[in-house]
Amino acid sequence: MLRVKAGDLDRMGLLFERHYRALYGFLFHMTYQREASEDMVQTVFYKMLRYRNSFTGDGEFVAWMYQIARNVIKDNAKKNKPGTHYDAGEIADRLPGGTSADEGFEKKQENAGLHRAMAKLSDDNREILTLSRFQELKYQEIGHILGISEGAAKVRAFRAMQELKDIYTKMER
Amino acid sequence: MKMNCGQYEEKFSAWVNNELTTAERAEFEKHLAGCDGCMQEFTAMQQVWDLMGTIEAPEPSAHVPVKFKAMLNTFKESAEEKKGISIKEQLARLWQWQPRWPLAYSLVIVLISFTCGYFVFRTGSAGKQDEQLKALSSQVHELKQTMMLALLENPSASERIRGVSYTSEIKHADKEVIDALFATLNNDPNVNVRLSTLDALTHLASHPEVRQGLIQSIIQQDSPLMQSAIADVMLKLQEKGSVNSFKQLLKQKDLNPGVKDKIRQTITQLI
Repeated sequence: MLRVKAGDLDRMGLLFERHYRALYGFLFHMTYQREASEDMVQTVFYKMLRYRNSFTGDGEFVAWMYQIARNVIKDNAKKNKPGTHYDAGEIADRLPGGTSADEGFEKKQENAGLHRAMAKLSDDNREILTLSRFQELKYQEIGHILGISEGAAKVRAFRAMQELKDIYTKMER
Repeated sequence: MKMNCGQYEEKFSAWVNNELTTAERAEFEKHLAGCDGCMQEFTAMQQVWDLMGTIEAPEPSAHVPVKFKAMLNTFKESAEEKKGISIKEQLARLWQWQPRWPLAYSLVIVLISFTCGYFVFRTGSAGKQDEQLKALSSQVHELKQTMMLALLENPSASERIRGVSYTSEIKHADKEVIDALFATLNNDPNVNVRLSTLDALTHLASHPEVRQGLIQSIIQQDSPLMQSAIADVMLKLQEKGSVNSFKQLLKQKDLNPGVKDKIRQTITQLI
């Protein structure tokens, strides 16, 4: 990224190849909107190009990318909020059979239950689980992204997992 | 879960994420083996965690990289343009500045021409105008003089008075005018004309010949009205040279007694 900052914009193509899938996954898990997530991938990378000078090299590129992505999600939510904001329950209802859901999800019934449980999590809890489980980031990185300490990230992750487990077991019954 | 199990929350997060060192891991698992509450809770959570691993995020569509490449290219172009813009901008600035200089020039030129014109007209034509004005006023002067002289010859007394009154408008009365006035003063048959002529001549008293003429005309006046009027004028002018003429006048036998008294009074006042 520092090379991109120095003006080697082609390097950004490399970074995109390496990270766009993971970024897309994160955006999808946070919003459950496929097309919007694709647009947001674009937005995140555009912002990284645009504000490449604000990348200090202090910390990982990935952490910076997720920080920008979080802001993009917030902006997107703000844009959609009047009228089209989906609360967690609504998303959960839409997921298994909704038009936006992947066909693959419908086939995996056990997954669908957990997916619905995840959708019911609060945004903060879903975020930290997404980052730790799906994006496979270390707690140190997560702490950096969220602006909290590593310990706090671990505690929050634990609580999120607990909540998810509780929701999931309730649904199973 | 026991009270002191809280410290294992963080450990669990790290354990489930494979972030523990072997020593920490062993310690954590040892606690788990001895604590049923934790064992139960953590096992359930681990199951959920493992299950989460089977969740697959949908793959982004093929449009995404294509769109990104397009975006990157346009961005690169615009970035290159920005570099080019420095020259373009300079040109643009030049273009912006260009009209300003001619504007300034033209303003300066207009200003200069105005000032030049002002001075040229002021010095050049002002002199001319002055001359023209002088010529014109002298022409008017002459005209008035001729008119006055002609009017003094007029048989009508009122016309002659009008002619006399013109002299007040003639600032520089010349010899000709003064002579004409004296001729009227001494010879005009009408007393009123003579009186107004005397009045006109009083205004011209700054001329020494006018004073002299007035003194000489004292004895020539036969009308008591004129005699006392001249006495008044002499008193007003404080003309001591008139005393002799008045004494001569007093010797006249048919002098009006009123006038006689007035002249005597005038003489004493003048002396």
